[in-house]
Amino acid sequence: MRLTETNPGNQYLVEEIQLELATKRRLESLGMTEGSKINVMRKKRNGAVIIKIRGTRFALGREIVMGIKVRDRAGKRDLS
Amino acid sequence: MSAEELQVGFVGNPNCGKTTLFNAYTGAKLKVANWPGVTVEKKEGALKYHNHMYRLVDLPGIYSLTSYTMEEKLSREYILQDDVDVIVDVADASALERNLYLTLCLIELGKPVILALNMMDIVKERGMELDLHRLPEVLGIPVVPVSARKKTGLEVLMHAVAHHKVEGNDRQVFDYPDRIEEKITQIRLRLKEKYPDMPNSRWYAIKLLEQDEEVTQKYGTLVKGIVDRSYENDIINEKYHFIERVMAEVLVNKEKKEAFTDKIDNVLTHPVLGIPIFLGIMAVVFFLTFTVGDFLKGYVEMMIDYVSGYIIGGLESLGAGAWVISLMKDGVFAGVGGVLSFVPNIFILFLSLGLLEDSGYMSRVAFVMDSVMDRLGLSGRAFIPMLLGFGCSVPAVMASRALEDERDRKRTIMLIPFMSCSAKLPIYLVFSQLFFGKAAMLVAYSMYILGLVLGIFVAFVHSKMLKGSVKQPLLIELPEYKTPNKRTIAIYVWSKLKDFLSKAGTTICAASIVMWVLLNLNHTGLVSDMSQSFGASFGKFLVPLLAPAGLGLWQIAVMLISGLAAKEVVASSFMVLFQVSSSSDANIVHMLSGMGFTSLNAYCLLVFCLLYTPCLATVMTIRKETGSTRWTLGLVAFQMVFAWAVAVIIYQVGSFLIP
Repeated sequence: MRLTETNPGNQYLVEEIQLELATKRRLESLGMTEGSKINVMRKKRNGAVIIKIRGTRFALGREIVMGIKVRDRAGKRDLS
Repeated sequence: MSAEELQVGFVGNPNCGKTTLFNAYTGAKLKVANWPGVTVEKKEGALKYHNHMYRLVDLPGIYSLTSYTMEEKLSREYILQDDVDVIVDVADASALERNLYLTLCLIELGKPVILALNMMDIVKERGMELDLHRLPEVLGIPVVPVSARKKTGLEVLMHAVAHHKVEGNDRQVFDYPDRIEEKITQIRLRLKEKYPDMPNSRWYAIKLLEQDEEVTQKYGTLVKGIVDRSYENDIINEKYHFIERVMAEVLVNKEKKEAFTDKIDNVLTHPVLGIPIFLGIMAVVFFLTFTVGDFLKGYVEMMIDYVSGYIIGGLESLGAGAWVISLMKDGVFAGVGGVLSFVPNIFILFLSLGLLEDSGYMSRVAFVMDSVMDRLGLSGRAFIPMLLGFGCSVPAVMASRALEDERDRKRTIMLIPFMSCSAKLPIYLVFSQLFFGKAAMLVAYSMYILGLVLGIFVAFVHSKMLKGSVKQPLLIELPEYKTPNKRTIAIYVWSKLKDFLSKAGTTICAASIVMWVLLNLNHTGLVSDMSQSFGASFGKFLVPLLAPAGLGLWQIAVMLISGLAAKEVVASSFMVLFQVSSSSDANIVHMLSGMGFTSLNAYCLLVFCLLYTPCLATVMTIRKETGSTRWTLGLVAFQMVFAWAVAVIIYQVGSFLIP
């Protein structure tokens, strides 16, 4: 599912980032790599979110949020 | 014997405390705050420890060493220079996992790196524990815990710098999977063939595999056939895998409590309440600025009166000429003294802004305002420079550098002069108190709102005109909230007050003297009636133009022109022109209304001052930041016309409604 379809307060795993290369690489160097855990803290009506990856909070605008695909942790083996 | 000089680069993630550490060493008073991107330029400082001279360089914060952003490119170029001896990688220990990514990138560069672990106190507070013996073992570089705020570990760190310079990073920290390592070896061989002296060929090889734009441009042709695709994604992933293994080894206790920031964020970043809360906070800031500031202002006025009385008395007893006494009394003291009496208001304003900046709220505002800014075709990030504009436009324009897209940056710069900066505050206070009595605070407050609304309106129209422009989406780190640091705030407020005081001593003082000369002289010499002076004849020339805006007095024209030097000068010129002695001088109001200048005219004057061309310093900064004289002049002209148009509308509608 897309990050836009998630619920605040839950944890997901990053599946794929479909964004232009520069933005994608920036997110990756912030630790948003494939399979990493992502906590959705807040969602705004315009699509902006606050997330937490590897212990740090980031605010992301709608255009970025749309391009991030995540999957539910349910049914997966807990890796932590 | 001259001491050996070491050049030390401070590198680290944004908001990790680099500048605080730099200040602690050099005694410099560079601005520090709790939001990412405060440092936009590299700064240098020097110090001496034992036998070594150290040249420290503070660089803007970065997350990695790619060539995708300006800051990263510049930092990378700087580090690759030969004259940098040692890199101090400043890391926020409470966010070690993310900070280690940059550490690995730096180690790969091949220069001697030392990891300075900052904010260990926060780590302890949260009940986490780091194994500081294991960390240097797995990273292969020295690790020194420091506290930039409490100034501990500073000597140890510089000691390590001096030692590490000789030793360097001798070993490779970790290996990529075989398929990547094989490619790296192949590329290194080819590089060695062509450039036998290349010092860090491993780094260039890795960058070539990542198909890094800059490095590929230089050496790309050499490695044809080896680099079949970009391995950047694999390389980033491998680094983070390694970091995960490191963290598993060194993090003894996982954090137990971090609810503090989350709890505050539950309220401050609330989807519905976020904006009202922000407006409420700003309302409190300005309420304090007006009330507490005014309370203190009385004392400052008394002091200024005492000092000026003493000096004038002294001059009289020395038998100084009448014109000297008039110049001092009606020129310098009326102008400079008048503006100086606003020091308390400005103090409170900057104190409040400093507290906001240091608490960590700033980047939350970027998130909260993202929906509003979205409609203007700007990201919420652009709101931070706007907010800084309430203090002073010059640093606000410079802060817009954090926006990567040039069009975003220009649109943000365009918005900043609409904010009511601290220099406009004295104008608001003088006229609102003279003309609006009890409603004074409301009138001053309306200027802040009007500026914000009109600025947003202009940006909105601009974004509609430039269709198809792609805005840079919001991406900003939200730091942990912290109790503002007394020293940081003190440095910040004092530097702002010092700016203001030195402006009073230079620009405003000079403007007051020039004003006195223009108003007391004409071609025949000294005049007894100001309306016969040079200044008056010049002002009268502009009267027909300003009349439709309700500003058709030659004195007003002179005031507005003088305000181009600095906005406070509008207030100081007013004092010189009308010999205003106190903020509630009923005679002045009476006299002005006799000249047809009523509260409606006063309001139009405030609106005009809010909107017209920013001060010279801001114009110069805009020119420097945009690199375009044409664009800057266009903006200046636009603001002049816009201010005139808005003032005309308000005056015409107002005089229609109030017969």
